[in-house]
Amino acid sequence: MSTPEVYVIGGYQTDFARNWTKENKHFSALMRESVLGALERCNIDPEDIESAHVGNFAAGLYCMQGHLGAFFTEVHPAFSGLPTGRHEAACASGSIALLAAAAEIEAGRYDLQAVVGIEQMKTVSAAEGGAFLGTAAWYEQEAKDIEFPFPKLFGKLGDEYDKRYGLKDEHLAEISRINYDNAKLNPNAQTRTWYMNKEHALCRTDDNAEVGGRIRIADCSQVTDGAVCVFLASRAYAEKYAERGGMKLGDIPRIKGWGHNTARLRFVDKVFESRNDQFVLPHVRSTIANAQKRAGIADTGGIDGIETHDCFTTSEYMAIDHFGITAPGESWKAVEEGWLEIDGKIPINPSGGLIGAGHPVGSTGVRQLLDAYLQVTGQAGAYQVEGAKNFQTLNIGGSGTTSCSFLVGV
Amino acid sequence: MSPSEAPRSGAEMRKLLSSRDIKKVVVLGANGTMGYGSAALFTTAVPEVVFLARTKAKAEEGLAAAIKQVRSPTVASRASVGDYDNDLESACADADIIFEALTEDFAIKKDIFDRVEKARPDDSIIGTVTSGLSINALCEGRSDSFRQHFMGLHFFNPPNVIVGTELIPGNDTDKELVDFVEAFSTIRLGREMVRTADTPAFAGNRVGFKVLNEAAQLAEQLGPVLVDRLVGPYTGRAMTPLATIDLVGWDIHRAIVDNVYENTKDEAHETNKLPDYMAALMDKGVLGNKSGAGFFKRGGKGEPRLVLDIASGDYKPENEIALPNLDYIDDVSTFHAQGRYEEGMAAFLDAEGDEAALAKKAIAGYVAYAFNRVGEVTETITGIDMIMGAGFNWAPPSVLVDTMGAASAVKLIEGAGLEVPKAIVAAAESGTPKRFFSHPHINPGKYFVAG
Repeated sequence: MSTPEVYVIGGYQTDFARNWTKENKHFSALMRESVLGALERCNIDPEDIESAHVGNFAAGLYCMQGHLGAFFTEVHPAFSGLPTGRHEAACASGSIALLAAAAEIEAGRYDLQAVVGIEQMKTVSAAEGGAFLGTAAWYEQEAKDIEFPFPKLFGKLGDEYDKRYGLKDEHLAEISRINYDNAKLNPNAQTRTWYMNKEHALCRTDDNAEVGGRIRIADCSQVTDGAVCVFLASRAYAEKYAERGGMKLGDIPRIKGWGHNTARLRFVDKVFESRNDQFVLPHVRSTIANAQKRAGIADTGGIDGIETHDCFTTSEYMAIDHFGITAPGESWKAVEEGWLEIDGKIPINPSGGLIGAGHPVGSTGVRQLLDAYLQVTGQAGAYQVEGAKNFQTLNIGGSGTTSCSFLVGV
Repeated sequence: MSPSEAPRSGAEMRKLLSSRDIKKVVVLGANGTMGYGSAALFTTAVPEVVFLARTKAKAEEGLAAAIKQVRSPTVASRASVGDYDNDLESACADADIIFEALTEDFAIKKDIFDRVEKARPDDSIIGTVTSGLSINALCEGRSDSFRQHFMGLHFFNPPNVIVGTELIPGNDTDKELVDFVEAFSTIRLGREMVRTADTPAFAGNRVGFKVLNEAAQLAEQLGPVLVDRLVGPYTGRAMTPLATIDLVGWDIHRAIVDNVYENTKDEAHETNKLPDYMAALMDKGVLGNKSGAGFFKRGGKGEPRLVLDIASGDYKPENEIALPNLDYIDDVSTFHAQGRYEEGMAAFLDAEGDEAALAKKAIAGYVAYAFNRVGEVTETITGIDMIMGAGFNWAPPSVLVDTMGAASAVKLIEGAGLEVPKAIVAAAESGTPKRFFSHPHINPGKYFVAG
């Protein structure tokens, strides 16, 4: 028996440039806007939702708030009694929530699921927030008493590439430049008004200060506040939905494939384990390949674009060869050839990615899936990849620890 | 009226973009706030930007201010400086865009355009950042080439932060060129572009400064603190109206409202009349933040801010100013804080008392005035909505109507003694459109600020 299909009905993203603390708003407002926005955008009655999942990393630290699934009951009276839950896997929390929701549909439990990825981070100072983020690593061993531990860990990823294959700063700067340029096209991108170009990304003064080894400000995604809600549906619901909207079932994208792996927590252990592998992070590679295999797509040549986890320029650099766009260690070729641009051979992060669009940690995986949906349905506006039919995401928690990937297509 | 406002797809815009190469921009008046701000913005996407001013020293000041504004050494490496006497002709000779940001004086602009016209290559674009002067009048009597390549490109201050930008073609401006500038500004400069007609103060300032000036008029009776509380964040704006006038500068405020008052005749004519007290205080040097004092003045370190007493011209500490009961604002804010904006607006509309009535009148006036400008300043309400949202960071008029519901909007506007715009009446009666504001990528909730 084949696995039941999981359809993506659509969703809604909050503007990642917003600072909800400055708007004097509570976590519950962020949740409400994303869910109500998605219901309206998709023209779905709240009564249709049968189960709900929240992906979130650390509301207990940032907002002094747990029990996030229960906040669905604050969104709409129809959600009273709804089965809800919250999922956590650091920066991959959103994807874990999606996987759980998709599994419930595959199991035949429910026909329509709401999945929210959410994080409110501007509640605390940068230093305090940096320490909270350190709990996505092995805190005691890799983050305790270290200022901004994650840029340093992903700086080491760059160092490992440099050691094995060579790595030039100008290629990282170009990755940053593309993400910032794309973000200018995305009305929900955090950095859409920020001043950036390749020259600035390459500048080595305090205007682009070092934060962790080879990682400078322009190499980093930035913390922000944001929530994204998407709906996942069974074939039965998707058929009804398509009929109601005058569409064919085939117009509604589905999750054609997924991948999910976990590697050892400490970065040094990951690198040690991969010392004889051609890939620096082999578990990331297998996550990508598993999603493609489940989708029946041979390789990245069968997809039209990627939303990847560029928490730092080094993580996108890693993703390029792990997706097989180039041979291992040759990611620079794709950068130099212009393949990653929106109208390039294999566009990466037309939304601006984490660097350009922003990285409210728990929402990122869901944001990537929504962007994949917008792309394959031709709704991505100014950052649309023309004619996209299949889009793949890659969402990473920790220093390459948890990897998740979805392949969304029509 | 300007061409269609229908948004173009990314692919269409990228195609338009490839029709021209912008390698060099010359900014005239690069020492002024809009001059250096615009010049800094151009350096994000253009390899050579020339800062020109009356003297080379002034141009250098502009460059220093631009670097400070965007905090990037990129600006310096892409910029050069010069003065009009020595460098205008040579700088313009191979320019792709000549961008005029001189003082808002018709004669001064005319003189410089005389020189630009002689020096510019035939295919160069001439943009003006004027916020009030007529685009058609500014290019009247010039060559075909000049008029076909001339348009208003109205950035808002500061351009590196505020993306809302008005694009104002003249009667003779080449349509493909307007499309190109729209694509270039959107894709390369990250702008939210709104096309407007060549009417006094265009769309954003026409609608926005009417509200600001009405707040200034109200302040004469109520005092600045109460006015800014009443028309405060809970009504859909991050910055309060009188603080906004202080930031903009009283002189700029006067220039805009005087222009509208003198050159338009609409249903809210008197709300655009500058209050006499503002003119009198300006004679004494009160210009807002730039002169150190306006409606508000910074207090000493750790002290409350000082507030203008309009009758005496003196300043009093804010904590000595008694306010009436404004509990309703806290109630509205509590709803906004939880993202319950519909309930927040309902609490506002239900609030009783003279103060709430004044606040409702200001908001009703904003909505009605905006809807009544459709067909005059933009083709649809969406153009006004976009510039109020992306240019002023205010809840667009449509967002307010959608959030309160069209029937409640009718009641609000009638209650304020104003004529209800036909589109809102029709929506209330027929239920269509269900929403006036339906931009697929914009959150209406971001405009409602609690507190």
